[in-house]
Amino acid sequence: CSDDFLEYQPEGYLSVEDAATAENAEALVVAAYAGIANDEMIGPLTSMWVYGSVRSDDAYKGGGGRSDVDIIDRYEQYNLTIADDPSDWMGPRTWTNYYKAISRANFALEVINDIPDENYADKTLRQAELRFLRAHSHFMLKLLFKKIPYITEGLTQEETLEISNDVDNDALWNTIADDFLFAYNNLPQSQEQVGRADRNAAAAYLAKLRLYQAYEQNETHQVTNINLDRLQEVIDYADEVTGDLEADYGNNFLNGYDNGAESIWAAQFSINDGTTVSRVSFVMGLNSPHGTGLYGCCGFHLASQNMVNAFKTDASGLPLIDTFNDSNIFNTVDSNGEAPLAAGITLDPRIDHTVGIPGRPFKYRNTVSESGDMIYNFSWARDPGVYGYFGNMKEQQAPDCSCYVKEGPFIGTSKNIDFIRYADVLLFKAEALIQRNEVDAGITIINRIRERAAASTQRQIDAGATNVYNMGTYPMGMSKEDAIKALMFERRLEFGMEGPRFFDLVRWGVAEQVLNAYLDVEKTRKDFLANANFTAGRDEYYPIPQREIDFTGGLYVQNPGY
Amino acid sequence: TVTAQEDGMPLPGVSVVVSGTSQGTATDFDGNYTLENLSRDATLVFSYVGYKTQEIKYTGQTTLDVVLAADAGQLEEVVITGYSRERKVDVTGAITVVELGPTEGASLSSGSAVQGLQGQVPGLFIEKNGDPTGTSNNILIRGATTLGNNNPLFVIDGVPTVRQEVFAGINPSTIESVQVLKDASASSLYGARAGNGVIIITTKNSAKAAGGEKFRVTINSNISMLSEKQQRYDMLNAQQRGEVLWQASVNDGADPNAGYGEIYNFDWNGDFNNPVLNGVTIQPYVGGDTNVPVGDTNWQDEMYKTGYVYNNEISVSGGTDNSFHLLNIGHLKNTGILKYTGYERINGKLNSNFHLFDNKLRIGVNTQFSTSDETLASQDVGSARIPSLSITLAPTIPVYDSDGNFAGPIGAGYSDRNNPLLMQYINRWDNTDRTTIFGNIYAELDILDNLTFRTSLGLDHSNYQRKDIEPRVFNGFITRANNRLIIDSNKFSSLVFSNTLNYQLELNDKHKIGVLLGIESIKDDFSSVYAQADGFSIETEDYFVLKEATGARTTTGRSTGSRLLSQFGKINYAFEDRYLASFTLRRDGSSRFGADNRYGIFPAGTLGWRISNEEFWPENDVLNTLKLRAGYGEVGNQTIGDIARFGLFESRYGSNQNQFVPDFFNIYYNVGTAYDLNGVNTGNLPSGFVSIQAANSELKWETTKEFNFGVDFNMFNNNVTGSFDYFTRETSDILTTPPIASVIGEGQQRVLNGATTQTRGWELSLAYSKTFDNGLKFAVATNFGAFKDEITALPEEVVSSYPGTVDNSIIGHSQFSIFGYKTAGLFQSDQDVQDSPTQVGARPGGLKFQDLDGNGSIGAEDRDFLGTTLPDLEYGIRINLEYKNFDLSLFGSGVAGRIGQDPYIFWNNYASGRENSGLGVLDAWTPNNTGSDIPSLSLAFNDQRISDYLYRKNSYFKLRNLQFGYSFSEDLISNWAGMTGLRVYFQGENLFWFTPKDYIGADPERTNVDNIPVPTIMSLGLNINF
Repeated sequence: CSDDFLEYQPEGYLSVEDAATAENAEALVVAAYAGIANDEMIGPLTSMWVYGSVRSDDAYKGGGGRSDVDIIDRYEQYNLTIADDPSDWMGPRTWTNYYKAISRANFALEVINDIPDENYADKTLRQAELRFLRAHSHFMLKLLFKKIPYITEGLTQEETLEISNDVDNDALWNTIADDFLFAYNNLPQSQEQVGRADRNAAAAYLAKLRLYQAYEQNETHQVTNINLDRLQEVIDYADEVTGDLEADYGNNFLNGYDNGAESIWAAQFSINDGTTVSRVSFVMGLNSPHGTGLYGCCGFHLASQNMVNAFKTDASGLPLIDTFNDSNIFNTVDSNGEAPLAAGITLDPRIDHTVGIPGRPFKYRNTVSESGDMIYNFSWARDPGVYGYFGNMKEQQAPDCSCYVKEGPFIGTSKNIDFIRYADVLLFKAEALIQRNEVDAGITIINRIRERAAASTQRQIDAGATNVYNMGTYPMGMSKEDAIKALMFERRLEFGMEGPRFFDLVRWGVAEQVLNAYLDVEKTRKDFLANANFTAGRDEYYPIPQREIDFTGGLYVQNPGY
Repeated sequence: TVTAQEDGMPLPGVSVVVSGTSQGTATDFDGNYTLENLSRDATLVFSYVGYKTQEIKYTGQTTLDVVLAADAGQLEEVVITGYSRERKVDVTGAITVVELGPTEGASLSSGSAVQGLQGQVPGLFIEKNGDPTGTSNNILIRGATTLGNNNPLFVIDGVPTVRQEVFAGINPSTIESVQVLKDASASSLYGARAGNGVIIITTKNSAKAAGGEKFRVTINSNISMLSEKQQRYDMLNAQQRGEVLWQASVNDGADPNAGYGEIYNFDWNGDFNNPVLNGVTIQPYVGGDTNVPVGDTNWQDEMYKTGYVYNNEISVSGGTDNSFHLLNIGHLKNTGILKYTGYERINGKLNSNFHLFDNKLRIGVNTQFSTSDETLASQDVGSARIPSLSITLAPTIPVYDSDGNFAGPIGAGYSDRNNPLLMQYINRWDNTDRTTIFGNIYAELDILDNLTFRTSLGLDHSNYQRKDIEPRVFNGFITRANNRLIIDSNKFSSLVFSNTLNYQLELNDKHKIGVLLGIESIKDDFSSVYAQADGFSIETEDYFVLKEATGARTTTGRSTGSRLLSQFGKINYAFEDRYLASFTLRRDGSSRFGADNRYGIFPAGTLGWRISNEEFWPENDVLNTLKLRAGYGEVGNQTIGDIARFGLFESRYGSNQNQFVPDFFNIYYNVGTAYDLNGVNTGNLPSGFVSIQAANSELKWETTKEFNFGVDFNMFNNNVTGSFDYFTRETSDILTTPPIASVIGEGQQRVLNGATTQTRGWELSLAYSKTFDNGLKFAVATNFGAFKDEITALPEEVVSSYPGTVDNSIIGHSQFSIFGYKTAGLFQSDQDVQDSPTQVGARPGGLKFQDLDGNGSIGAEDRDFLGTTLPDLEYGIRINLEYKNFDLSLFGSGVAGRIGQDPYIFWNNYASGRENSGLGVLDAWTPNNTGSDIPSLSLAFNDQRISDYLYRKNSYFKLRNLQFGYSFSEDLISNWAGMTGLRVYFQGENLFWFTPKDYIGADPERTNVDNIPVPTIMSLGLNINF
């Protein structure tokens, strides 16, 4: 009787045995998908605005002065060398969150591997999806931390703790690629459930991975060689990707276009789905305009003056690649809180999809019924004395959007976050072509991107934007050097403030050169940058979180400089 | 025969002296004495430790029976040592009997009997916070035993509970005794959960304890006035803050007008190399809004008010030899010192028992109930706690705009916080109701004359309901467009069934043997329901009911429980009242452990030697009595989650991390398993399962083994009493849930039997009392407790979750160690920076760290152990004076030998871009003010890594209580409706304190500014007896 009395079974839980069954295999796969989108404001997984945009020349941290979420200020200033930083925000949490996602995929794989083939028709398919998910997380980790342990299924805790992060850089790329290859070889080109990984996404990812891999880095992150064979793979995989560009560039950043032709691989979000605060994304919750009752908080992630200047075009509608930053545009605010454009300047229309500019319509709207004016105004800026007044636009939705939820001070939306869109795949290919000296073929692709951008002005003009657009295409017959510059510049304009910028600069091996040149000028405009300086051989990557080194008994190797 | 008043038991060893002669004797084991050749009219003096000395005239009778009454000024004689009563003199463990009488005032003004214990018991450490509930946030007996929960076990009338609020809710007039069992040999019989010490509370349930057979009425009344003015932090006013922002901006090379031009106008020369400030003027409007004229607000002034506590209780008690009844009802109201907070409690108690069949069967109930309602400090929309926001909000924000509406921060340069007064105001409807029913029904049957069976069924039941109303907010930057109601409720129930058999045997008047056998089962169950709903069309208190919500709704809930089954036994043996021995054994089974490790066996034994009862002990005036004690005991600990040993998965359809780890940003952290695979953006989602805990089937009891050596003595004609204890304790297999490397994955943390800690310490209590010929009674009691804890072993995978490094680990240090950098003042010049070890962010006027490893640069390896946050020494002193009808008592206590982080340092020694600063920043280092220890001001380079600059000595001595009373003479009051006692008193608490020189904050007990400060309290009280 006494043993009966002492027998207490958990209420409302599953045991490991109950969870690890064939019946639950599908559910465990769903949980693994959820894992890649379980990010948080202070440990992001999806949007790379902190790591890729603020850390580059695209954007400032924003918010209420430098001390507001000061960990991002340290990223922005490349000032991260306190080993035991008491703040546990951002980098270390992102590390943890990706490995959580990886562990979900691995657990599902363990369960599925053990199910006899004849009992599970979708076995290989699901294995391929899970390996894709696992590779995705490792890929993102690698962009941030470079040296990472690659964790596969079926390991005990002890075995997991023996996996070092000190592996050959090229070999690590190949390890990640193996998972993507398995996915590529075993997934259908598209899946009925659009949120699932498919062969198309695997091909795009392989193109992306081989592109990064092609720029071979040494221990201090310098690019020592560009591997042309890898670039050929980029071209081959890119050709396997089916997709199209959205007719209007802005569609990519609007509710209603999730999983469209341009969205190759994305994190899925949803609203009114019965979850506590809706499965919306709050990863950009700090980033809505501050000084307007329409949004209310918190004015982070603001376009740099340099970024705004980059959208200038010359008489032939081409960007001023070498001289764009010699003069500022939209740099005076009149008494109406608007920043008129000086006469004679023309713009790439993508600026009005990317940046909130005083006096210009925001999110293609000049009114929101009953909610007031949607012309971006100087007063929407939170701390203009420090960070200026340019806002971010791609991340925002109109406050009357059915995708929009305000929880506490922060705004989330059910808009998907794209990891790879088709424009990216095209430019991967263009980059590979140009590096392989197939310049005209590359420029042709760039021009396709530009033509779509040129055609993406209708919404702004309808909303009352002054039509100052002038877009042109590049001529054939450019030199390889000029074509590479054009490619680099095009990527910046096309993906402005979407996050890839910093990783592009590191891939190309030009981060130190570009960012310190940017800071030299930008600090004369914004004195909060007065002491910022990028240190080559260190600031290309984040430090391995000290606690992870400690928890593995010093097994992990720290990145140089930290 | 000499017997004791409270239980009628014979008193051995009572000294009987014929006054004025050398003739005398002592009572024997049965309390008998013989005196021969007594002359008539001789005066016999009966004296005994702990009892009032009686003088009786001999009038020729052949037997003279005397009943000695316990001396209220002395320690109570009988103690409960575990399911049975023992005489204090026979006790061999480390037990302190607390005299609560003098601290009734402190119990009443705080509403918590816990406060009555503060500083009274050597080795018992209590600190409270300023919540109107009077809750103590820290109760430690002999320091910390384990690495997790260190709360003691409360045993109230034989029913165990770990809920402090049950004890807190007992009114002082119903408490008979409180005892603190400190060492394992004493507490071992309580087995599981006794590892952190046991506090035993007995309420009055016999006529003797309640003061005789007559019915009595006792009324205690107390009105207190609470003020936190002494505990405030001095912050900058509007003008001063402008000057500080200018200096800090210029130091950073930033134009102050760019950052703060909307708040201040800085008139300066614009030369960063040689900055000169001509003047700072404050912009007239907040955010340029002409409706919001700038303020110069002292937010602490605005947020706090004088609070009042009204506490009244009335007891009616009495009975006969065959029955007893006690009825008590109390009402407490605390109006709160933070505006819109408060606490109200009604509690009652009924103890009743009947003695049947010629006193062979005794049945009874001890019950108490309390119901309370609290509204506490709130938080703003962005989750900043109001007590800290009340310190830090910028002074230039006015409380109200010119329309009389609440103003808030708006415009560049302000923090994204809300007006704290508004936040507290809109949360005024929030409340938490707690209802507790606690008590037992019991029966005792004397099977034989000396064999008693007792059975008791105890219940500890609590109902909790928190209502959180979140109205819409349109104030400051951060608004809330949606309103919400949260109802969070839970129910806890613990059913305790105990059966004991008690056997007492005396042989040859020399051997006294007591045997106790018992079994006990404890069944705990907990369940909760959480509901939240949005969208209420009107915002009145009455309308916020769940059914009226029109927006999103969420409900969740959980259920858990645990079981304990124990068998125990105890043998006491006394030989000729000189040699004492006791042996106990308890076997506990816990549902929290798997079948193989379910049972823990916890033995204990003690020996005592009352040397002064030996025949060779010379009768002397110096050392009157002496008792030596030695004990060894083991106790178990199972304070882990109910289901800690299992590997668990759960479905997390809609969860965010806030539901598991409440934290502001965790609301926005999705940890669910649902995912929109179909890409339809809405509707019911496919979902899965996720691991939340890894299994550890090996999980077993944590064990504490403790040696205790003690000595009790009376000296100088019993005017000095004291005891000294030395103990050494080792806790092994400590249950911990260490953090793990992230690669191991989600939900893979598990509970381990990990660490070993050792604690050594001593305790001393010394009391002196004397009644002078002129009627002045003087008593002083002191107590000291000192201990040092040390982690002696840690599993490798756990080490890194503690302070320290691989080479310099926590092993050998206290678990409360602070690990960080040592500072060497401030850099005085660029040259100084160049000549010093390389340090990131080094600048003249910045903090300079010591290069402990001498490698020429400051890095993680330069950290070392700086000290511990738990004190080396705790001490208390109480002085009582009585003269005629006046009484005066003073009580103070303190701690020494600890370090702590003074929260004020972050404001006083650093400028901040959004928060206000303390006055210290006005004296910060500049090239012209190099003597300062406050770093040169900066808004961006405030290096606040853990160091001895932040962690400083924060010892203190506090005068906690001063009471001055007047008792009306019985002649006078007996005319007033038969009143038998009337005393009025004035009481002051938390009056003043002493701190070390470099301690800069207000109150060293305020270590967390998110709590309301502990106020200074002035009370007026009444004790009335009929």
